[in-house]
This record gives sequence, structure tokens and C-alpha cells, in this order.
Amino acid sequence: MSNQSRQNLLYRIRIQKDLEKIVGPALDRLSNLDAVISMIANLNDRQQVFIYQWAGLIAESNTELAAHFVSFAPEAFDSMIDADVQKWIDLFLKNYDNHGLGKAITSLEDISGFTIAQKNKGVRCSLQQTSVFLQHFIRGLGGRELKISGNDETYTNTEGLFLPESISLFPQPKQNFTVYKLTAAHLWAQTWYGTWRIQVLEKLTAEYNDQKSLNIFNRLESIRLNYRIARDFPGLSREFSEFENRDPKVVALWKLWQDRANDLRSPTATAIDTIGNIRHFEDIDMPALQSYQGEIFLDRIRETMLSRIEQEQIAFQKSLDKLRDDNAPKDETDDDFVAKQMLEVSDGDSDDGEPSETNFQLTLDGQPIELSDDLKNLAGSIMQDFGEIPDQYMDPMEQGEYSDALLSQNGESEGDTDPDLNETGTFQYDEWDCTRQRFREDFCTLRELVVPPGDEGFISETLEKYRGALRVIKKCFEAVLGESRPQRRQPDGDDIDLDAIVNAHVDMALGKDMSDHLYTKYRNQERNVAVMFMVDMSGSTLGWVNNAERESLVLLCEALQLLGDRYAIYGFSGRTNKRCEVYSIKDFKENYSLEVRQRISGIRPKAYTRMGVAIRHLGQILQKTHARTKLLITLSDGRPEDYGGYKGQYGIEDTRHALLEMKQSGVHAFCITIDSEAQEYLPHMYGTANYAVIDEVEKLPLKVADIYRRLTT
Amino acid sequence: MSKTTIKNEQNFVKNKPYYESVGDEVAVFTAAYENQLPILLKGPTGCGKTRFIEYMAWHLKLPMVTVACHDDLTASDLIGRYLIKGGETVWIDGPLTSAVRHGYICYLDEIVEARKDTSVVIHPLCDGRRLLPIEKLGELLEAPGSFCLAISYNPGYQSVLKDLKQSTRQRFVALEFDYPDAATEEAIVIKESGVDEPTAHKLVKLGHMTRNLKGNGLEEGASTRLLVNAGKLIHSNVAPVHAVDTAISQALTDEPDMFQAVHELSRSIF
Repeated sequence: MSNQSRQNLLYRIRIQKDLEKIVGPALDRLSNLDAVISMIANLNDRQQVFIYQWAGLIAESNTELAAHFVSFAPEAFDSMIDADVQKWIDLFLKNYDNHGLGKAITSLEDISGFTIAQKNKGVRCSLQQTSVFLQHFIRGLGGRELKISGNDETYTNTEGLFLPESISLFPQPKQNFTVYKLTAAHLWAQTWYGTWRIQVLEKLTAEYNDQKSLNIFNRLESIRLNYRIARDFPGLSREFSEFENRDPKVVALWKLWQDRANDLRSPTATAIDTIGNIRHFEDIDMPALQSYQGEIFLDRIRETMLSRIEQEQIAFQKSLDKLRDDNAPKDETDDDFVAKQMLEVSDGDSDDGEPSETNFQLTLDGQPIELSDDLKNLAGSIMQDFGEIPDQYMDPMEQGEYSDALLSQNGESEGDTDPDLNETGTFQYDEWDCTRQRFREDFCTLRELVVPPGDEGFISETLEKYRGALRVIKKCFEAVLGESRPQRRQPDGDDIDLDAIVNAHVDMALGKDMSDHLYTKYRNQERNVAVMFMVDMSGSTLGWVNNAERESLVLLCEALQLLGDRYAIYGFSGRTNKRCEVYSIKDFKENYSLEVRQRISGIRPKAYTRMGVAIRHLGQILQKTHARTKLLITLSDGRPEDYGGYKGQYGIEDTRHALLEMKQSGVHAFCITIDSEAQEYLPHMYGTANYAVIDEVEKLPLKVADIYRRLTT
Repeated sequence: MSKTTIKNEQNFVKNKPYYESVGDEVAVFTAAYENQLPILLKGPTGCGKTRFIEYMAWHLKLPMVTVACHDDLTASDLIGRYLIKGGETVWIDGPLTSAVRHGYICYLDEIVEARKDTSVVIHPLCDGRRLLPIEKLGELLEAPGSFCLAISYNPGYQSVLKDLKQSTRQRFVALEFDYPDAATEEAIVIKESGVDEPTAHKLVKLGHMTRNLKGNGLEEGASTRLLVNAGKLIHSNVAPVHAVDTAISQALTDEPDMFQAVHELSRSIF
């Protein structure tokens, strides 16, 4: 063996030893280990260090993934620039965080796919970039609310528009953006111009439920829709033609189809007419779909529509029942009389058959009735399905037929796991990973729940217990309000300051300069504070702490009523990143009502303390309020901690990062804790002056109000 | 002490303002006026509240004093104050006082914007007493029969801090205004801006589209006033999409996504 090759061998052995130290035994399971090692040996020093570093970081999450990374890293460096290698790592780590090892390895191994996507990036337009715009755009066009979401197939189920995650059909990003817009508009047109009336759906299901007929229907319906769009939206129509397929064969085929189906190009043609045409097209070639056309999935539409129709009929009848009750003369509570009232609907003269609220009028005993926005939307949605309000919808509801679960049909609350909590929505948040120095994108799933009401006796007991203390607290708070005194000797103001005038006259008489500060100004130092209280509802608060927290909130609310500051109270807890929870106790819009009091009383310890995501969510709610001073106050009993790695430095750093994000957006954060070890980590998280440690739990209720007063004056 | 008065003839609405009646609001206003009841006009911005009161001033042949309320407007701004002139203090009537003195219509536009103390000074004027106490003069001014107080407010967008107090609102006859129906709105746009019917139709359609977005990214949809503004620009040969961008989209929102949505909506119909 020559000297040279001996050195190479030693070099490779050293690399292998180093990697084994970092990745562990998983490395030895690689089938192509020798080849990988020699490829790494050929990389430059910087690239090698990069691989060592990241292999170490990834191994902390998963050694299998780290071994895979090592085996593919040389190829990655070979096929892309170094900056892209970083993005490739970010991508498969994101997949690991959100979908697990399998998906992560698939995306790690697909280097060629990644490089192509990277190249397309310049021209690509992603749904993420456009979804906000598209949602506004579609909402503006009108009709039932359609949710935009990403999917491999492009279609509508009449409640949502499913669009590709990204489009790179055309060389310019702007063109791809327009394709998004046109696709969404074309799918919207299906829901608006009656492609999915119930009659159409029934006929298609009964007679043409095969793929070929549906494909023909899709193309013919597109001819009809394009005509209707051209009439109502000439601008959109111009863009449709700009983005049509230019291939002469396709153009000729479309032309042939249009000529043959000319009866569809009329303002009165309906989707039923389109179905009537299907037979005539079974024997000729089909033109390719245009870039903006979606596909049709009859079963998905059917499923969505049938469940909606059932729910909406119940909701509509229930609303009408309520209308009848509300409009019943007060002195006639007789049920028979109510039943006798005649509710009638007139669809107006909808000459071109499109649903709209304007040609819908409800009359009760011949008198037109003003409809609430909700009912208008509901009626609009029903008319989109039927083209009219069916007669049976106008009948009074039979007792006991509906359940409240069906009525909350806004699509947000479904299948709640915790039966005594009302869920109001789910949200995705990033989490800061301090070891990787990066965000884990959309890592945390957070649900917003409402605290079930508790025993109201607790409130009165607390008020009784702290009666004396409360009087003192209230006095202090009143003093805060009284601080707005008239400002004297102002250059302008509401009134003349007589003292100043007298002085000025004296000055004048003495031949001195006369001051022009002669007015008083009654300038109330208007308080403009919005404050969010974030209450720790982790399992460790069980017992005394939970009681003290609830008592603090009662006293605080009593005092805050006096100040008139806007405030909200939320609890937070959770178990793992998939089940983060915040509990609404009082939102900014609510008054300090009986319900709020009952919810305060109903606060109970739940699970763990994943703080970062709660801060991000509540901070966002806080930012939506308009106030000069925005304050986020945390009541807590310990350091952030959750199942699955969210502890120690990781938890503290994520929380700290979330607080920094809040600070950048103008929210002041403050923490009140009873953890006697808090000195160790709170200064790092909140900053040296932004926390208070209370050594005795019993003092918490008294201190919280006092701290709040000091904070806001 | 000298007095500064507002000259009657300057405050008359001389030419008949264009106003398209949508219900019985003219009759109700007249009846309330005859019964010496103050009037509250509710409705979103730009739906014709101010135009209506101008029309009524013309209809009743009364001079009108308008005060656009802002968050620094105090009671003294309405009633009047002493000023110093040449070493002497001089009393100057505020707009409300002069309207009461002479029996005009006084219109307080967007009353909730004003400071809280202003709504209290109008209380004695709005009930059976019809008195305006001028504390600083030691005067109690009784409103003549022709005096009429009208206030307006927009219940839609103001924050909780700026709500009209019950004690104030319960002194008024309330007239609710909303955007007119499509046909009336079209007629208004044609008449006010001079555009042709198809353009007016498209503008009104766009107005309805933006109103679909209210509460979902827009605080308010495009008002009739904005539609008229856009119509005027179009009438003066500004390209329609550009006119809509400047007169409507930019006026409605600063948010890029929302601006683009309104922009694309207007492009799709023009």
C-alpha cells in the first residue's frame, strides 16, 4: 500500500469514528456506509464541519434521521448550492416535526424533487402567498362562505375551494398568481350560477354517475359558466381567454364544442340544460381542460350538500319560528294564534336566476319583515342550493326535531373530545427551537375553549372574605382616576385662568412682559389601556394556588370595573404540541357579567404549561384591540413545562422568544408568580423589572390588584 | 360687551339638495320637528345622513348650523367662551348657542366623537324643557319653536369607549339610515356623478361586493359617497379601474391583500 492510499484510509477511518460518535449505532446500519464516507472525505472542510454540526443537532431529535442525513448530505452538496442545502434540512426537519419520521425521510431522500422545486421557486406562486387575497376576493364576489384550502386535486365541494399548494405553469409568478385567481373564480362560478343545485345533483347521480359523463358535463358546464361570467364580469372573462390553451388542436376542439352546445350560451340556460347535452357529446373527442378549470367529484359534493341541506332546513325553520314568536302580538300568547300567522316568501323577479339577498323578501301576514344578517345569509345559501326557498322550509318546526349541535353549523365546532367545553376554533403556531436556532413551523396546534361555569357561591364568599381589603383596593384605584386635574397656565384651553390674568395685568402695570399662558385645560388623562390576563391552569396549581388565582381574579375584576380599562382573561394549559389549549374566561368585548363570574369560579387545573404558544395566541388577540398601552400579565406558579421535551432551557427559550415577539409588536409583558425559584429564570424571560414573585400564596389576591395599579399609572 | 352673531342668510341652504327618499324619513322628520322633538340619525358612513339633513333644512326653509364633532370638541366649543380682546374679556357664542338664540337647525355630526361633557350639555335642550344653560353668563336660554337639534352617529365602527349613553339616546327620535337598494343607489350615482347607466350599474355592483367583505378584513364596505366619487373620476375620463383604485380601494384599506382583492374585483367587472 502506498503512502498516499494509507493516509486516505486513515482519514476515512477518522471521519467514520467522528460520525459514529455523533450519530451512534444508527450509522452502522447504513448499507452504503463506505461509499458515503469516501464521498464525505472528498468534501471541503467547511462542508464537513457543516455535516458534523447538523448531524449532531438532528441526532438530538432522532438518530435514524441523522444517519439518513449523513448518507444523503454528500449528494445534496453535490447537486445544489450550500444555501439550498440549509433549506433542504429545514424542509425535512419541518416534516419530521409535523408528520413524523416516515415523511421526513421521504422528503430527505427526494433531493432531485427538491432541486426542481427550488428552481421553480422563482416562477412559482404558492397558495400560502395568495390565500388571504383569494379569500377576500371570493368573499367579495358574494354567496356562501367558501373556505380556501390546499389539495392535490382542484375542485369545490360547495363549501370550500380546493386549490393546488403551488402553481408554476407559466414562466412569470404574476401569471401563476392570475391562474390561482381564475381557478378560484371559476370554481366559485359553479356555486353561484347553479351548477350544484340539488336537482342537478340528483339527476347527475341517477343518470350520469360515470367518469366519462362527468368529464363531458364538466366541459359543457364550463362553456355555460364562461358565458355567464362574460356577461357579469367582462374583466374576468378577458383574463380567461388570455390563459386559454393555445394549442391549435385544443382550440379547434373547444370551438367545435362551443358551436355544438350553443344553446348553453344563453342567460337562461341552466345546469339541467347542460345535462341534457351530455348525450350529444359522447362520440366526439374531449378537449383538454383549461389551466383554470377544476375537476368534479360528485360524491364529495353530495356528501357536503346533503348534510348542509339538512342542517340549514332545521336552522331556517328554527329562525322562522323565532320570528313568528317575536312578531306575535304581546297580548296574544295563545299558540293557535301564532300558528295562524302566515309567513310567505317571495323570490322577487330574479330574471337571470342567480341567488342574491336583494330579490328575497319575507312577509308575515302581508307585512315585510326585516331579516337579520344571519338569516339573510342562511336564506342566500338555501337559494344557492335550490334556486328558491322550498315550501316545506316555511312550515313551522315540529317540536323536538332539532338538536343544538346541528344548529351550530358554522363549521368550526365539530366532534369535541371534551364534552363540557365549547370549542371556538383551532389555530397553528410556530415554536422556537433553541437548539436549532430556528422556528418549527406550524408546530403547535392550539384550541380555544370556553371554561364551563362553576359555582357562583365562590364569588360571594370571596367578596365577603376580602370585604375590607377590597375597600382599600377600590380606594387606591379611585385615586388613580382622580389624578386628572385641570392644568393651569396653558397657552390655550377650555377656560380662562383668572389667576394668570390677574398676574398678567400686574405684570403689565409694572411694565413687564405679559405671559400668554392664560388658560386652563381640563384634560382628562384618558386611560387607554387594554390588558390581557393569562392564567396558568396547569395541573400543579391544584389546591391552594388555584383558589388564590380565582380569588385574585375576582378582586381584580371588581377593581377594574372602576377603572374602565379593557381587559380579557384567558387560562392556558395543554399536553404536547398537538393539544395546546387556551380557555376563554372573559374576552375583551364581554362585560363583567354573571357568566364571567361563573367562569372564574369554574377555573380548574388541567394539564401542563406550554407557555410560548399561549403567549403567541393571546398576544395576537391583544394586538387586535385598539389601545395605547397593551399589557400581557401572566399569573403563574412555575416554569414552562410540557410533555415531550418542552422543559428546561427549551421551554424557557421558546417562552422568551414569544415574549420578545410580543415586545416587538408593542405589547408589554409582566409576570406574577408564586414560584420561589423564579429568580433563576424569570429575569431572563421577562426582563429584570417585569416580574413579581409573591412568597405567600395567600397574599396573591391582594398583591395582584396592587401590582396592576402600579403597572398602569 | 359686543356680540358676534352668525348672519342668517349665510346659513340657508339655497339650492334644493339632491336627495333620493328611501322611506318615510321626510314625513317622520317633519312630524318630529313640528312636535319639537330632537332627532338622531343612525347609519354607516356615507349613506346620506348629512345630505338628508341639508335637504330637510331646505325643505323646512331654516338656516342650519353644522358642527363636525371631533375628539377634542368640548362643551365650551359648542356653547361659547370668553376671549380676550384689547385688554377686555369678550363673550363669543358657540355654534349651539347661536342656533338656539336664533331658532336654527343645529346638526352635530358624529356626536360620539366629541368629548363626553358635550353630550351632557345638550340634555336639557332635548327634553321637554328645551333650555340651554350658559353657566358662564348666568343665562338660561330658552329655545324658540323653530329650533331643532339633530345629531348623527354611526353605530357600526366606533369602539366601546365611544358609545352613545342611554341617557342621551333616549331623548331622541331615531331615524335609521342604510345604503339604498341597488336601483336607488344606481340612480344616485348617475345623478351625482354624471356617469352612464352601465357604469353606474357596475359601480353599485362593486359597492355590494365590498360590503360582502365587511367584518372580514374591511371595517366598512364602500359607501354610496365613495361610489359617487369614483363615478365622478370616471366621468372626468379617468380609466375606470384606476378611478376605483384611487377613490374606493385606497380609501377603504391600507392592507395590501385586501387592496389587491378590491382591485381585482373591480378589474373583473370593468
